Amino acid sequence: MSSSAVEAEAPDLVCQLDSVQGMVDALSAVRWKRHQDAVVELSEHGVVLIVEDTGCLQAKVYLQRELFVRYEYHAEGRPRFGVSLGLFVDCLNSFSAPGRSSMIEIQYPGPDMQLLIKSVDSLDACIYAEIRTRIPDTISWDYNFEPAGSTPLTFTVKLFQTPLLSSIKKMILHGWNVHFCFKILLGSSIQINLQPDPPCITFKGEGHGDLQIDFTYYVNTDLVIAFHCDCQVSYRYKYKFLRATTSNLPSSVIKDNRGSKLTIGRGGMLKVQHLVSVARSATSHPHIDSAGHQQPSRIAYIEFFVKSEVDE
Amino acid sequence: MKFKAFLTEHGVNLLERRFLPALDKMGKICHLFLTRDHAIFLHNLLNGDGVQCIAQFRKEALFDDYRISSQNEDRIAFAIDVSLLLRAVRSSVSICTEFGNGPSANRLQIKLVKKLPLNCTQPMPFLTFETKGYKSAVIQDVPISKPLSRAQVLELQTALELAQDIPRTLVQVPDSNQLQNFVERMKQVGDLLNVSISKYGDLHVQISTTLITLGAEFRKLLVIGEQAEAPSDDRNQSAQTRSERAISRGDAQRVQVSVKHFSRSLHCHLAKPDCTFYGIAPHGSCLTVIFQFFIPGTHQTDKSISLHCRLPVLDPGSS
Repeated sequence: MSSSAVEAEAPDLVCQLDSVQGMVDALSAVRWKRHQDAVVELSEHGVVLIVEDTGCLQAKVYLQRELFVRYEYHAEGRPRFGVSLGLFVDCLNSFSAPGRSSMIEIQYPGPDMQLLIKSVDSLDACIYAEIRTRIPDTISWDYNFEPAGSTPLTFTVKLFQTPLLSSIKKMILHGWNVHFCFKILLGSSIQINLQPDPPCITFKGEGHGDLQIDFTYYVNTDLVIAFHCDCQVSYRYKYKFLRATTSNLPSSVIKDNRGSKLTIGRGGMLKVQHLVSVARSATSHPHIDSAGHQQPSRIAYIEFFVKSEVDE
Repeated sequence: MKFKAFLTEHGVNLLERRFLPALDKMGKICHLFLTRDHAIFLHNLLNGDGVQCIAQFRKEALFDDYRISSQNEDRIAFAIDVSLLLRAVRSSVSICTEFGNGPSANRLQIKLVKKLPLNCTQPMPFLTFETKGYKSAVIQDVPISKPLSRAQVLELQTALELAQDIPRTLVQVPDSNQLQNFVERMKQVGDLLNVSISKYGDLHVQISTTLITLGAEFRKLLVIGEQAEAPSDDRNQSAQTRSERAISRGDAQRVQVSVKHFSRSLHCHLAKPDCTFYGIAPHGSCLTVIFQFFIPGTHQTDKSISLHCRLPVLDPGSS
């Protein structure tokens, strides 16, 4: 076989990554169910993984090519394939061993359109995986996220979990039966209200009783890092979808305590953005610069889009 | 039927810190088989299709002043709850260290007794631990099954002899932690594990379902028994191709076992063995794991202790 023929058959993507754990963390953040189908899109800029739920919730994980030690992209267009997210994460997890750096190579497609993964850092011990892929059956709905007004309505919170979790805790404190409370919450919705003056975010839960929590920007500066809002808006979101946007972040990410940014767009579309470090889990963080921020190249971006509930 | 012995300090350490925690992971109930020369802990030899685990000690490894007598050639066997046994040994140790006063002061005696428990009309058998502290003595009774009948003991003895066949090829796994870690994570992906072992020193474990194939290959391991030179053209092949070729050449064997069993057998590392060997028994009848213990401070095998597991094979595979 001539070398040109080999080149012609080069796979769409061959990439190497030196931090499996970072990738596991990033992908786990969008894993809100045990069995979930994901669509993976490859491009010269990196890898995007998309997960959806009932047309109301979409999550995207952006793994930019800069995250990879090696990124060889040979495809025309943007190849897409479907894969089971759970299997993919569990499988990647097998490559990560505590206390060891684990360099892996990912290739797509294999001879039978599989996703191929193998460890490349040791000669005499090798871990390998082949994951069956499928043709993505649905074209994922594109979210055309547009700002609602002239300036975006956003706020950035530390540990976005806090407001929701504490809401639940408070409901329990008020004497609600725990199971009852979750049952109501899972089937119910949470209203998010932003108002510019005084700058305030309000979470309102309605069940057989209601609960309202206000986060006034000036009072909760430790929690609410940034707030931009020039007109009052109010939208309702399914609680289970809101929970999915935050509850699966690995604890290591929460410990990092970067802010999570929430933006409300046109039609009440809620965008939740998280940053997950994909740096090597070495003792020192060589990628942290003097200001204490990690270089953007070592960050995976995660975005959730939640459709607001339409009032009847 | 009489049994009475004193556990030595070394014996207590072996049981409390190493062997009983490991055996506890293998299953709640085990048989304790006592002979004139040996004390043997046996899991799943008579019943069940779980992992067979055999921990055998020469009496000197655990006891001194070892006295046993029975009408069945001085052999006694009974079933015992490993976790209860561990608890009894642990609390005896804590009493010894609390009140102990020199090695002779805190001797731990174990003996077989029959007692009439509260609210019972029939006396019940117990393994009794007697610890003499500085000012007090503590007695703990661990309930045991009725001693096995002559026929049952014979059955146990036969099963034990059958379980001694050694695979023709054994490979040594250098880093069991790595393997354990991998298998723990692998459990998420599937239930059945293909294990192939070659005369070249390759150990290849793999889970294969319709959706995923996930495997690990460890190469150039130390081989004991039948070995062969790895063909040079295999070097650039994938792990799966290498295994297939080795099997077709008759240089490797493959069996399928339960991932859960495999992971359980790895818990034997709680017993802190010095070496671990994997091999496939003749005709692919089981996957055998042999743990080797050195005499402390040397590289010589401690022949007074032996531990090995036999994992049932779910599919005879190609052999």
